[in-house]
Amino acid sequence: MEIFAAFLVSVLVYASPLALGALGGLASERSGVVNIALEGKMLTAACCAALAGQATGSVFLAVLSGVAGAVGASLLHAWLTQSFGIDHVISGMGINAIAIGATGYAADAAPILRSDSPVPTPEWWVWAAGGLFLAVAFHVFLQTSRGGLRLLAVGSDPDKARTSGLSPEMIRWKALAAAGVFCGLAGAMIAGTAGSFTKEMSAGRGYIALAALILGGWKPLPTLAWCLLFSLFNSLQIIFQGQGALGSLIPSEAFQAMPYVATLAALAFVVKSSRAPAGLGKP
Amino acid sequence: VKGSWSWRHAVLTLGAFLVVAAAIQASGVPGADLTTGFLRVVTTGGGWRNVLAKTTPLLLGGLAVYAALRAGLFNIGAEGQMVMGGLASAAVYLALPSPLGLFLGLIAGCAAGGLWAFPAGWIKAYRGGHEVISTIMLNWIGRFLSVYIVTGVLADPTDPSATTREIPPAALLPNVLELGAFRVNASLIIALVAMIAVTVWLTRTVSGYEVEAVGAAPKAAEAGGVLVKKVTVQAMTISGALCGLAGAMLVAGVDRRFYPDLAGGAGFDSLGVALLAVGSPLLTLPAALLFAFIDVSTSGLSLAGLPKGLSSLLLGLVILVFAAYRFQRRKG
Repeated sequence: MEIFAAFLVSVLVYASPLALGALGGLASERSGVVNIALEGKMLTAACCAALAGQATGSVFLAVLSGVAGAVGASLLHAWLTQSFGIDHVISGMGINAIAIGATGYAADAAPILRSDSPVPTPEWWVWAAGGLFLAVAFHVFLQTSRGGLRLLAVGSDPDKARTSGLSPEMIRWKALAAAGVFCGLAGAMIAGTAGSFTKEMSAGRGYIALAALILGGWKPLPTLAWCLLFSLFNSLQIIFQGQGALGSLIPSEAFQAMPYVATLAALAFVVKSSRAPAGLGKP
Repeated sequence: VKGSWSWRHAVLTLGAFLVVAAAIQASGVPGADLTTGFLRVVTTGGGWRNVLAKTTPLLLGGLAVYAALRAGLFNIGAEGQMVMGGLASAAVYLALPSPLGLFLGLIAGCAAGGLWAFPAGWIKAYRGGHEVISTIMLNWIGRFLSVYIVTGVLADPTDPSATTREIPPAALLPNVLELGAFRVNASLIIALVAMIAVTVWLTRTVSGYEVEAVGAAPKAAEAGGVLVKKVTVQAMTISGALCGLAGAMLVAGVDRRFYPDLAGGAGFDSLGVALLAVGSPLLTLPAALLFAFIDVSTSGLSLAGLPKGLSSLLLGLVILVFAAYRFQRRKG
């Protein structure tokens, strides 16, 4: 029973930042902005949370600073895509490179990141419950509220939305700010559960979040379900690794590659392009 | 797309300069050390050797991304294609350590790289799935597959880290020029030949013209009788093959072994190289040299205390500032 509880906790601890990151991707992609920069935004948040948290010891300041860092990166994304009209993929790659560079720089140059005091963080269940609440709230927001419907309208046909008096640019600025908040929470939790910041510690979770988003058909609740499934496999992989015979039967790399293989297979055989927001990537 | 520059561009450019200046200032490395560090790269034979070694994969990767871009495709998968090319070639070099093995290994590298890009082209052409997503997924799958293989069947039993055995000298690419510390490996010559071949392909052949047509206006190309789907798959696969060749030559010309971090980010930097090469595939050469110079000089300066992240930060800012001038929205 205790082992099962520990297993469940490990699933939820892994799933929470994944789900938060995927929600960030949802907010931006449903408004029409391709977001391959989730990884960079989460990494930025983890670094900012660790810097503020280890310097002050305050949980609140750690989370706030993580959110501020990711919102900053996300607003840069909005500025580049909406004001300059730079391609979403190019700007996303650029932001990822800057995030890896800047946080790597901080890891080398800021002694506070090597201090013995761990990054302060709320309990894991606060994160898990918060992630679940935000996913449901975001689902309700998209389906019922005026703002949510506008976001969907801008994402599915920016030109039509423009003729009916909406400003796609303005709405996407807001959507990207929201994406920054979600990624900020995800990054703050990643640094908090690890206890300290290490280089490139997001370790591809921004991309797994993107995978969950695509497999979930750009809908909050199915996306959440995929995050949980990926986390389940991640925890199974860690258990399998410890078992000699079982571990050699299914290599841990196969488990690690699973989200990516599933997404590729879905793109090839299941997902029709029509499920993606129709205005994705359009000015 | 040509548009007018605005105050925004000035703000972005100035901001990028300030960020880099502040990062260098905050590192506390004296200015004199920086100058000598940068100068050492361009004034010594050893410095040029490192720059040229770094230029080779960037040139091929840049060409690969450039060619795909002409067909309207974003090949974000250069990194994974380099890794798979390197892995396949290393297997051949190790099985057949001879000049013939070297030749077959380079071909195997091209084939593996092409194979690793093909699904992205196919999904784009026949299923409408975005190539950016599929190439990102293929990068990660390739990474885990290569880790599995170099910790398993191809593992070096004497080395605890994930790597193959060292490739025997008979299957290595030789240096074509050695002047003291200055060396030019045959891989650079092969990359330059590939650059000329890609340029001829894109600008002088019917097939290259079809690629340009698909990239510029797919519907018009289709109406004009171009097989858009076939050209899409073709362009993506050729792009992957060029990256695979880069990986194979990293193994045979630089690292002498395969390990999962072989490409070391060169695949991602290739996107920047391709973006900078506006208008002609021949411009991938100066762009690759610039990126290689930034990489070599900053990693040299990390010994003097310059934090390593600066290189990635600088390249990211170069891409964004450049893209802001180059890829402007059409008004109206």
